[in-house]
Amino acid sequence: MIEVNQLTKRFGTQTAVDSLSLQIPAGQIVGFLGPNGAGKSTTLKMLTGMIEPTSGSATICGFDLQREPIEVKRHVGFVPESGAVFESLTGLEYLEMVAALYGIPSGAARARIEQFITFFDLSFETLTDKLLGAYSKGMRRKVVITSALLHNPPVVFFDEPLDGLDANAAVGFKALIQTLAREGKTIVYSSHILDVVERVCHRVIIIDKGKLLLDGKPEELVAQHNSGTLEKLFTQLTGGDELERRAEDFAKTFRA
Amino acid sequence: MSEKPPLLASAMSAPTSKQALRKLFLTLFLRGRGARGLQRSNAPKSVGQKLFLTLLFYLLFGCMALTMSQQPVFALAIYLHAMTFAFLSMFVAASAGEILFNKEEADILLHRPIEPKTMLWAKIRVLVEISLWIAFAFNLAGIFAGLGAPDGGWRFPIAHIISTIFEALFCVGCVVLVYQLCLRWFGRERLEGLMTTAQVFVTIGAVLSAQILPRLVFRFHHVLTASESSAWIIFLPPAWFAGFDDALSGSATPLSWLLGGMAAAFTVIVLWLAFGKLAHSYEAGLQVLNETARQPKRRGRRWLEIFVNAPPLRWWLHNPVERASFLLTAAYLFRDRDTKLRIYPGIAPMLILPFIFLMQSSGNAGSFGVAFSGGYLGLIPLIGLNTLQYSQQWQASDIFRSAPIIGPASICHGARRAILCLLTLPVLIFFALLCIFIHPQVSTLWLLLPGIVTLPVYALVPAAIGRAVPLSSPIEEAKSAGRGLTMVLVMFISIGLSFLASFAWDGGWFWEFFVIETTASIVVYFFMRALLNRVRWKSAE
Repeated sequence: MIEVNQLTKRFGTQTAVDSLSLQIPAGQIVGFLGPNGAGKSTTLKMLTGMIEPTSGSATICGFDLQREPIEVKRHVGFVPESGAVFESLTGLEYLEMVAALYGIPSGAARARIEQFITFFDLSFETLTDKLLGAYSKGMRRKVVITSALLHNPPVVFFDEPLDGLDANAAVGFKALIQTLAREGKTIVYSSHILDVVERVCHRVIIIDKGKLLLDGKPEELVAQHNSGTLEKLFTQLTGGDELERRAEDFAKTFRA
Repeated sequence: MSEKPPLLASAMSAPTSKQALRKLFLTLFLRGRGARGLQRSNAPKSVGQKLFLTLLFYLLFGCMALTMSQQPVFALAIYLHAMTFAFLSMFVAASAGEILFNKEEADILLHRPIEPKTMLWAKIRVLVEISLWIAFAFNLAGIFAGLGAPDGGWRFPIAHIISTIFEALFCVGCVVLVYQLCLRWFGRERLEGLMTTAQVFVTIGAVLSAQILPRLVFRFHHVLTASESSAWIIFLPPAWFAGFDDALSGSATPLSWLLGGMAAAFTVIVLWLAFGKLAHSYEAGLQVLNETARQPKRRGRRWLEIFVNAPPLRWWLHNPVERASFLLTAAYLFRDRDTKLRIYPGIAPMLILPFIFLMQSSGNAGSFGVAFSGGYLGLIPLIGLNTLQYSQQWQASDIFRSAPIIGPASICHGARRAILCLLTLPVLIFFALLCIFIHPQVSTLWLLLPGIVTLPVYALVPAAIGRAVPLSSPIEEAKSAGRGLTMVLVMFISIGLSFLASFAWDGGWFWEFFVIETTASIVVYFFMRALLNRVRWKSAE
């Protein structure tokens, strides 16, 4: 479903993603992890055609990212970390606009929007009367998730999707992506909430400084490295094992 | 979920992505992009009302053309096209950067299946559409005036509508072409910085062009015809479109045919270059705005910090809050694309008028021109502070409220001093040098003083009414009418003071006037300062 081959992105002299290669089959939920600045968002933006790779290639659903970017975009859904929306549109106007960009007929689009309203427990009045700028962060996130799934894409990229969602919505969302995966959709899930990743994802990919560090099933990786939890494994790999000592040093500055 | 109205309306067919994008960009343009934090009543949901008011303004302004109804077609058309050119160029220059290269929309639209060309065309179409509405509102009265022109007649409205469409296309094409050329010549990496520069230059060019041509009309005592014009008129784009009108419905001299031909030819060339030949650069431009490249190390910040923390600036900026606010303001003035795109093109047109007055005042009766230049500079801190108040990052200003500061006074003082120091002072020096160049006798420079002493007072106006906390309000709130009234009031006071200063200079009692004005300014300054120091944070709702 997703094939990435030596994908590289350089910004001037800085290499954000360094010869990344991976394959993700249909129906898999993949946790895409890494510390801040590891290159996760850059990778996702390349795979969704938002930025151009410096070198390397990728195919999604058989479509080449560089030769057929529009086809790739038609087959992916993306929830960006920023959760950006056009704030001066109402929720309904925004979702109808997105539906139109994918060529979804108005009737079908409204039916799908209706389903998402029910799923996320949004009120219809909010969706039609309030501008998105007046929504809470969580509500905006729900609209963004809806807009990514509206065209029923076979591949969905989520970049910190739970950011701003309340506990109920987060639980519902986790159930949703598991259902979507069972129906054959490929989910790439980038998050810093590692216990959720551990519970939800079939596979975990950890990158740091643009390079692939680990790739495998969460339970197998944890067992191989004898780390107990995915969180501990992550901190071991990405240089976070000294955090407690650094926190102590930080506190010392205030004591002084 | 509670009972809700049926959402499933009719199963209509899908609008095309072209239609959806056109509707989107038109709505965004009319409503504004950022509605975050706006009260429902402030949110400009009523598209029609806003558009109506804008067009009404242009319509009423265009009625001035009725005073020229007895002039030849060429003179009337020169006036109409020069003003239209200025309005459209300023509008397109101000809007194009935001519409064409909006950073925030990258996360929303770039991963959707849309061809960059489709997106570019949808945006261009919206720009052209709105330009045409503005152009027609402004030119409506002029069309009737042309019917009564000595060499005009029924053909004038047709010719003028066609030439106005050409002009709107030309203006939009030129601005888009400037951005495309910036991309092509200077590379994607420098796009953001170049956009501001390009926008400022387009605005200045448009206003200059619009100011020169109507003055030419007055110079020829309102009876300018194409045959009487100097050859250099062919270098001014509004004259081409006026020539088009004159060729089809006026004197039809060889020069007017030449100018009309140039209007058609240059419009076609610009459109071809902007939307045909260089359209592929657009995708590259969109992508670069979405790339989060590491910024090269900036060296400018250090010298500014040293400057702020050393005398004499340290004496002027009394406390750390004022100094921090000064540095924050400086950072936004120099670095923030959004702030730069609003402040510099906003100030540029204000500088044209004193510039023209100064150029015209090179004769013996030049005292008013110099005094006016000085007085008009008072608008710069006012515009600067008003503009700086609005930012896309306004929510970050919560940090001011959460800090242990009793009110916004210190932050406002820091910001206004940064505006005075970094924005007003360079302009003042420029005008002083210009005065010396135009009036070799240095004594004329004294005439700038009445304007200079009022600068600190004008800079306090937005702050004293508690509205100048930098970067603290959503951009959409910038469109309130109250600010416009303050500006007009300050403008009238400036003109009045300039007139008095000039009168005093010619009458030989300039220094007496200056002492009185300075004393009054000091009193008003301390009164407004005390007012500002008493302002407390309003509840952030």
